[in-house]
Amino acid sequence: MTHNLVTIRGLGVAFNGVPALRGIDLDVGKGEAVGLVGESGSGKSVTWLAALGLLPATAKVSGSVTLGHEELLGAPPARLDAVRGGRIAMIFQDPVSALNPVHRIGKQIEEALRLHRGITGAAARAEAIRLLEQVGIPDPRRRIDIFPHEMSGGQNQRVVIAMALAGQPELLVADEPTTALDATIQAQILDLLRRLRAETGMALVLISHDLGVVADMCDRVGVTYAGRIVEQAPADRLFAAPAHPYTAGLLAALPELDGPRRRLAAIPGFVPEPWAMPPGCAFAPRCPIASALCDAGPPPRASIGDGHEVACLQPSTPGVFAAASTPMTVRA
Amino acid sequence: MMPLLRLDGVSRVYRTGGGMFGRGSLVRAVDRVSLDVAPGQTLGIVGESGCGKSTTGRLALGLEAPDEGSVRFRDAPLPAPGTAPWRAMRRDMQLVFQDPLGALDRRLTIAAQIAEPLDIHGIGGKSERQDRVAALLRDVGLRPDQAAQHPHELSGGQRQRAVLARALATDPALLVCDEPISALDVSIQAQVVNMLADIQAARGVALVFISHDLKVVRQVSHDVAVMYLGRVVERGDPDIVFATPAHPYTQALISAVPVPGHRQRARIVLQGEPPNPANRPTGCAFHPRCPQAMPRCAAEDPAVTTLPDGRAVACHLAETPSRIAA
Repeated sequence: MTHNLVTIRGLGVAFNGVPALRGIDLDVGKGEAVGLVGESGSGKSVTWLAALGLLPATAKVSGSVTLGHEELLGAPPARLDAVRGGRIAMIFQDPVSALNPVHRIGKQIEEALRLHRGITGAAARAEAIRLLEQVGIPDPRRRIDIFPHEMSGGQNQRVVIAMALAGQPELLVADEPTTALDATIQAQILDLLRRLRAETGMALVLISHDLGVVADMCDRVGVTYAGRIVEQAPADRLFAAPAHPYTAGLLAALPELDGPRRRLAAIPGFVPEPWAMPPGCAFAPRCPIASALCDAGPPPRASIGDGHEVACLQPSTPGVFAAASTPMTVRA
Repeated sequence: MMPLLRLDGVSRVYRTGGGMFGRGSLVRAVDRVSLDVAPGQTLGIVGESGCGKSTTGRLALGLEAPDEGSVRFRDAPLPAPGTAPWRAMRRDMQLVFQDPLGALDRRLTIAAQIAEPLDIHGIGGKSERQDRVAALLRDVGLRPDQAAQHPHELSGGQRQRAVLARALATDPALLVCDEPISALDVSIQAQVVNMLADIQAARGVALVFISHDLKVVRQVSHDVAVMYLGRVVERGDPDIVFATPAHPYTQALISAVPVPGHRQRARIVLQGEPPNPANRPTGCAFHPRCPQAMPRCAAEDPAVTTLPDGRAVACHLAETPSRIAA
């Protein structure tokens, strides 16, 4: 894999000695759209906060994150400042807290242009107007001088995306970018991200709890559970033939928008707490096909062909959840 | 069958802005909404933020009094909020919201919180209350030992179960659930949705299920209402509404739901955003964003038309059914 933009190997994060990430391996190719799905606390956001050096000093980070040939973990702050907002930009769920409420939106975009591209003055203003136009803000010449509170949540998220584009990033990491938005506005923002990717050729990492959003937007998808990536595959393949029982369970737990209504196949139990991890596979206590072997140690990740990797001793039994009509019990 | 709850042309009008000297403007958060809920059935209400779905839920419970129209529960008008007859009636109708941690008292044990409605309404003696709490915990799938725990010791899904147990303590006939599973993870959402179905089957409780999640609403509802800017724009059997939406707004809302395995579905991306309710567009409020709007839509407010399949639709296109886009 010589064309990787970002290569993450064995990334671990612990807060106060409690592990939150337990060995993440992930590649992002140039121009590729990679989705990360998983439940809250599974590590999908922490992975990127750690990679970009955005975690508090109390977090212990281990492993390796390289951008091209440059190691980012432990890199000097000045180097990270150049990377963040430059080669890699990150946007978050809540656009309002990402913008400064007392500055006009144009000034905030111009600041990003000055920091990352050295553009100032009239040139910066012209470029800010162009960026606002690119992200679909109507009448950007006039709107460049308004404040964040004068716009809706969807418009603010467009401004945040314009700021992210200011540094001409090779990778945009979008952490739940549409979760706080209404359905019809979410559709607009996803449409915008898709168009920007086509226009700029930037890579996208889309972090979401919504499997539908990720399926719709990404080439490849990783599923996180309890601080690990348990399955990774091309998007179409992952959703058509999930090989990890957790992925299969997540898909079976989703209600559908059409067809006959059936009782949802809920995954029993709940995600283990980070300080009380099962000895082996973290999903074993909730897994319908777990055996004693699963408790022996964390299952290694193995390829099952066509870029499909899974960390499970008994991968691929499609329908393992959907077919379970008898109630499942949680192993103690 | 007589509905358990009937909202007949209810409106809720707020005055905003204005300050000390200004007159402010009137916002019709809910505008002439008529809905009913049959005993033991679920009415789903969907729509985007600001469409009035939560206010409709509060009007249904009598937490707010309508400025126009009437709310009837068991064919009697709701007493004024805060009065003794209203408090007595609240035994029969309960509310569950999105954030279970905010709904629970952090200092009280789970058992004490579930027993609280029994104390307030003077139901049963001490030992009977203990038995009822134990039975409620079992019904919502909590372990007996969790009775003595505090809210912070439970996970989000378990807290929402505790909130439900408390709401069910007085054996209500109606439960209004406002985004009850939105704060929960996907795998836990399915558990709570199944539990609600089981509780409804066992107790015959009617539900008003308010959510922005169309897939979940379809899963739980017997009847669904789609709201836009304070009005119900479409209402009917969820299987029909979600399979062949008649109102252009419902069509856009459904097409906006990303579904795994249906990549690159033809999607209707609406232009613009929902307008400010204080500045309601003329005619049909949806016309500025509607891909099928006609000149008439800007001038005339559409009346509610009943389609042959029993659906109610407020759209000029529905008045001439052959023109509804499939």
